[in-house]
Amino acid sequence: MSTTFQLNGETCRFDGDPMTPLIDLLRCQRFMTGTKAVCREGFCGACTVNVEGEPVLACLRPVGLLEGLSVMTIEGASRYDAEAQLLQAAFERVDAVQCGMCFPGMVMSLSKFLRETPRADRNAVKHAMVGNICRCTGYERIVDAVMECLAEAHSAGGADV
Amino acid sequence: MHGIVEERLIVAETIEEARDALRQGRAVLAGGSWVMRAPVRGQALPERLVSVGRIAALSRVEVEENEYVIGAAVTHFALTEALRDVPQLTGLVTAAATSANPAVRRVATLGGNLCCVDFAASDFAPALLACGALVYLETAQGPATLPMAEFLARRAEVLPRALLTGVRVPRSVRASAHQRLPMRKAGDYPVAIVSMAICGGELHIAVGSVEPIARRWTVLEQALDGRTLNPERAAELAATLNDFKGRDGIEADGWYRREVLPALVRRCTAALLSGESK
Ligand SMILES: Cc1cc2nc3c(=O)[nH]c(=O)nc-3n(C[C@H](O)[C@H](O)[C@H](O)COP(=O)(O)OP(=O)(O)OC[C@H]3O[C@@H](n4cnc5c(N)ncnc54)[C@H](O)[C@@H]3O)c2cc1C
Ligand code: FES
Ligand code: FES
Repeated sequence: MSTTFQLNGETCRFDGDPMTPLIDLLRCQRFMTGTKAVCREGFCGACTVNVEGEPVLACLRPVGLLEGLSVMTIEGASRYDAEAQLLQAAFERVDAVQCGMCFPGMVMSLSKFLRETPRADRNAVKHAMVGNICRCTGYERIVDAVMECLAEAHSAGGADV
Repeated sequence: MHGIVEERLIVAETIEEARDALRQGRAVLAGGSWVMRAPVRGQALPERLVSVGRIAALSRVEVEENEYVIGAAVTHFALTEALRDVPQLTGLVTAAATSANPAVRRVATLGGNLCCVDFAASDFAPALLACGALVYLETAQGPATLPMAEFLARRAEVLPRALLTGVRVPRSVRASAHQRLPMRKAGDYPVAIVSMAICGGELHIAVGSVEPIARRWTVLEQALDGRTLNPERAAELAATLNDFKGRDGIEADGWYRREVLPALVRRCTAALLSGESK
C-alpha cells in the first residue's frame, strides 16, 4: 500500500508500513524536526500538525489514514500561515520561549484558533491550549503573547467585515 | 516473504467490507488514538487492520422519531457539533466536549472509545449508561443489539469478531448532566465521573472511572427515587450509600476515587437541575 498526500503543499508519497506514525515519517525520513516527539501518547501536544487545517497529533496518526489529505507542519506554517507567523513573532517578543520543545505544537494548535476566534478571551485561549503542555514556562506569558496577537489582529483588521 | 504480500491496512467503504475483513482476522482501526499507543503500553500493534473511518453509514448523527442515532465513527468533535443544541443531551455532549484534549477529540471516535476494553476512564460509558443507550453491532451471526450495561460486561468476549456500528439514545431522555474530576483542570484522565439522566420520569445515575467498568449506582437511584432532587441531600445519601470499590491507578488511589463521589453527585445534581453541565 502506498499513501500519497500533500505535505506543506508538495506531493508526498510513502511506500512503507501504513501504520507508521506520521511523526516518524516527518522526523526520520523528511528530516522535518520542527515537529517534536515527546510523550508519543497524545498528552503533550508537542507533535501537533494540521491535517486538512485541523490541529491533530502526529504521534497518533498512522500515515495510512492520510491518503488524499493535506498536512501542514511547523516548517510549512512558518512560510505560508499568517497567524502562525504572528504567533511566532509574539512568542519571541514577549520572551515566552525557554527550551522551545513545546512551541511548534503550540503554534500549530493556536494558529487555527487565532484565525477562527478573533474575539477570544483569556479563558478561551487557555481552553484551546489544554492539550499543549509546557514544562518550562508558567503558561501566563504564552497566554499574554496570544492575547497580543488577538489585539494585533483586531487593530490590523479593524471592524469585522 | 513468499507470494503476494497482504496489505497491512485496508480501508473499508461499507459495513459489509469491514465485517468481511473482521472475519478474516483483521482488527478495527478507527481514529487510531488508542491503537497507536500500543508501543507505549508495551504492546504490539495489530498485524492486519481495517480502517472504518470512511464508512459513511458509521459517520452519521440522526434524530429519529424515538431515538438519536449516533454512528460508531462519529468523532467526539462531530458529536459535540451535531448535538450541542439538544438540551436534553447536555450530559452526553459534555462527555464528548470535555474528554481528553481538543486534538484527540478531533480524531477519537465514539466506537473507538467504547471498544477500548481495558479503559476504565471512558466518559462516554457512564454518559450512555445514564441515558439508557442501546449498542448496535454487526457480528458474524448478523446484527445484534445490546443494552449498554450488557455491552460493557461482554465486550471483551464479543468484540474481536464484531463491529460496533453505533448507539441509539432514546428520546425519552428529558435532562442529563455529566461531571468529571481530572487532576489537572483538563486534558488528563478523569479520576471519577458521575453522569445523570432523567429518562421517562426515572432518575439514572452512572459512575465511571472508579471501578474497572462503569456502572449504574442503583442503590442511590432507589434512595432518591420519587424525592424532590436536592444537591446537598443527594450528596449526603451518596456518602452513606457509597458501595464502590475504587481501583488503584496512576492518577489516583482507589480510596480517593471513591471519596470524591458525593461531591461529584452534588455537582451533577445541581447541573441536572439547572439544565447545564460544565
Ligand atoms: C491523551 C488522551 C487522553 C484521553 N482522555 C480521555 C478522557 O478523558 N475520556 C475519555 O473518555 N477518553 C479519553 N481518551 C481515550 C479516547 O477517547 C480514545 O483513545 C478514543 O476514543 C479511541 O477512539 P479511536 O477512534 O481513536 O479508536 P482506535 O484507537 O482506532 O481504536 C480503539 C479500539 O477500539 C476498537 N474499535 C474502534 N472502533 C471500533 C468499532 N467501530 N467496532 C469495533 N471495534 C472498534 C479498535 O480495534 C481498538 O481496539 C484519551 C485518549 C488520549 C490519547
Ligand atoms: S508526542 Fe504526540 S502528544 Fe506528545
Ligand atoms: S519552553 Fe520548554 S517545554 Fe515549553
